[in-house]
Amino acid sequence: MAVKVNSKISYIFKKREFGIFLFILILLAIFGSIEPRFFRSDNLSAILSSVGILMVVGAGQTLVIVTRNIDLSVGSTLGMAAMVMGMVARSRPDFPIMGLILIAMVVGGICGLINGFLVSFGKIPSIIATLGTLAIFRGAVFLVSDNVQIDPEDVPKDIISLATTSPIGIPWLLIFALLAIVLVWFVSSQTLLGKRIYAVGSNPEGAISRGLSFNRITIMVFVFIGVLAGLGGVLYTARYATINPADVGRGLEFDVISAVVIGGTNIFGGSGTALGTALGCFLIGILSNGLTVVGVSPFWKACATGFLILLAVAIDNLVRRRQEENFLLAIRNQRVAK
Amino acid sequence: MSTLSKSPSRFKVPGYLIGPILILTVAMVYGSLGSEYFLQPSSIIFNTGRYIEIGLLALALTFVIINGDIDLSVASTLAASAGVLAKLFSGGVPIFWCCVAAIFTGFILGLINGLIVIKLGLPSLVVTLATLALYRGLTQVMLGDKVVANYPESFVGFDQRLVIGGNPGLPAPLTLFFVAAIIFYFILHKSNYGIKNIMSGSNPSSSKFSGIDVNRVRLIAFTLSGTVSGICAVMITSRLGSTISNVGLGLELLAITVVVLGGTDIFGGRGAISGTVVSLFAIMAVREALVIQDLNGQVQDAAIGLLLILTVLVPRIRSYYVEKRNRQKRFNEAQAKA
Repeated sequence: MAVKVNSKISYIFKKREFGIFLFILILLAIFGSIEPRFFRSDNLSAILSSVGILMVVGAGQTLVIVTRNIDLSVGSTLGMAAMVMGMVARSRPDFPIMGLILIAMVVGGICGLINGFLVSFGKIPSIIATLGTLAIFRGAVFLVSDNVQIDPEDVPKDIISLATTSPIGIPWLLIFALLAIVLVWFVSSQTLLGKRIYAVGSNPEGAISRGLSFNRITIMVFVFIGVLAGLGGVLYTARYATINPADVGRGLEFDVISAVVIGGTNIFGGSGTALGTALGCFLIGILSNGLTVVGVSPFWKACATGFLILLAVAIDNLVRRRQEENFLLAIRNQRVAK
Repeated sequence: MSTLSKSPSRFKVPGYLIGPILILTVAMVYGSLGSEYFLQPSSIIFNTGRYIEIGLLALALTFVIINGDIDLSVASTLAASAGVLAKLFSGGVPIFWCCVAAIFTGFILGLINGLIVIKLGLPSLVVTLATLALYRGLTQVMLGDKVVANYPESFVGFDQRLVIGGNPGLPAPLTLFFVAAIIFYFILHKSNYGIKNIMSGSNPSSSKFSGIDVNRVRLIAFTLSGTVSGICAVMITSRLGSTISNVGLGLELLAITVVVLGGTDIFGGRGAISGTVVSLFAIMAVREALVIQDLNGQVQDAAIGLLLILTVLVPRIRSYYVEKRNRQKRFNEAQAKA
């Protein structure tokens, strides 16, 4: 039937991700037409590497927000992981790079585990628990490092090359980011675990009464975002080559949550996709870079981001309301037909 | 919950005050061990000047949080109001009208927050996250990287002024805070609006059915929070004697910490002004005690983050064990009967 093909196409058009994709294309067209240098390869790779760090952490944040939680401590977790890794690298320059990455991920995972325990067994609302650990982990970075930064000459060359070398045309940094997104996509749409995560998010009481372990899933997503924030710490080190205890990862939580929300994840849990988050990260990265390139004062950047979040949630809300109305209407029509 | 005193005295310390009072006491003892000057009244009173803005923000936030909402944009609202003040002042407007305009700006920005949340039906967490960026961005657009200073002598140094002279005198900010606390106490606990506020926070739908205009109550709370941010903008400008675009950066987290530490439920429906007041002084004492030990700001914040988590966690653990013991007791009684 023709209707079927038609509905398939309209399905793609109706997809939320398509809207963001369209918006990105429009932005690219605007920036490109004002300033052709926007499309130069060095500018594009600058965008990609800034998006990479955002995307790795955003992938984890998507799952956390899907379970009705929020992790405000990602910036500090990233800082903690990067700092510990940098200190190991400084004291033992011949440490293998895989070992360093593993250390960063384990440190991040431990931070995530602490958050997970506080939220699940401690029954502390995640926004408070991670508000606390945001400060605690940042303080820990200072105590661990004794307020001494890691200088570029102490960072192993192999780590820095993650940002500069590109095996298949894309830098390693972005490959890691894409792997994280694919992993979240795979887990959330192809596995039973993913179904459980979404179930806990959309109806916690129902999920528990169906025998799902609420605590286990909560801890799992927090450890997952911790590990990814640890990986983000590696990528941060690769990109900036300096780890300053005050600067590393500061304010990252805001950008990450913005990207996830723009990507269509419902802040009340239960829905959200990895693809949407990836596009949200690209949107933020392109916007902040493009504004600078076309010569708009960088002071407008925060304004634009804030406005974008409002726009995204407002449209989302409108669509959701329309869908609900249609759903109710369809049910009524069915009843009438009977 | 409070079983602290078993004596039949009529005065009981409410449960939510136990944590902050304990923290306050311990910090006082610890600080006085560090320096003999710590407990001198004059040093205590003059150290308060830096915390009064946080305290005022927290008082207004108490209303918002009791409603089950949150306002992350308070610090950015403060910055935008301070920006308006500075911009008008450098344009030659008399300082009095600059202050009026700053407070009015706060009022408008708070009103905008409330209207977006209520009219569009969006979650306040996301909306105020967006306006956090938006208002800060507006400030940056207004001020750029300029510093506005040279305020008239009569305007600067509000925190150095004394309402009651002598040694130790009563400085103006502290007086203002106490007056504000008393007013807010009467609004929240003795007035019609306060009762509506607590009711609509604890059960919005049943409040709606009993004739409370929940949305209006929430709108008033948001507007109040914005207005107080405007007042704080005037105070902070007077105290610092200059304005830059990152004024008050990160104050929102401290203010929320004060509110939550004071026993206000982050999910709404419960809270008290007395808790906010005591917890402000507790946080102040902790920070000052750590300053004497020569620890930097990040570690002070970490200590406060830890206290925040502990004040929420310890009562949970305690009630868990009490419940467990009661269950065991009931089980034993049932066994004995059988």
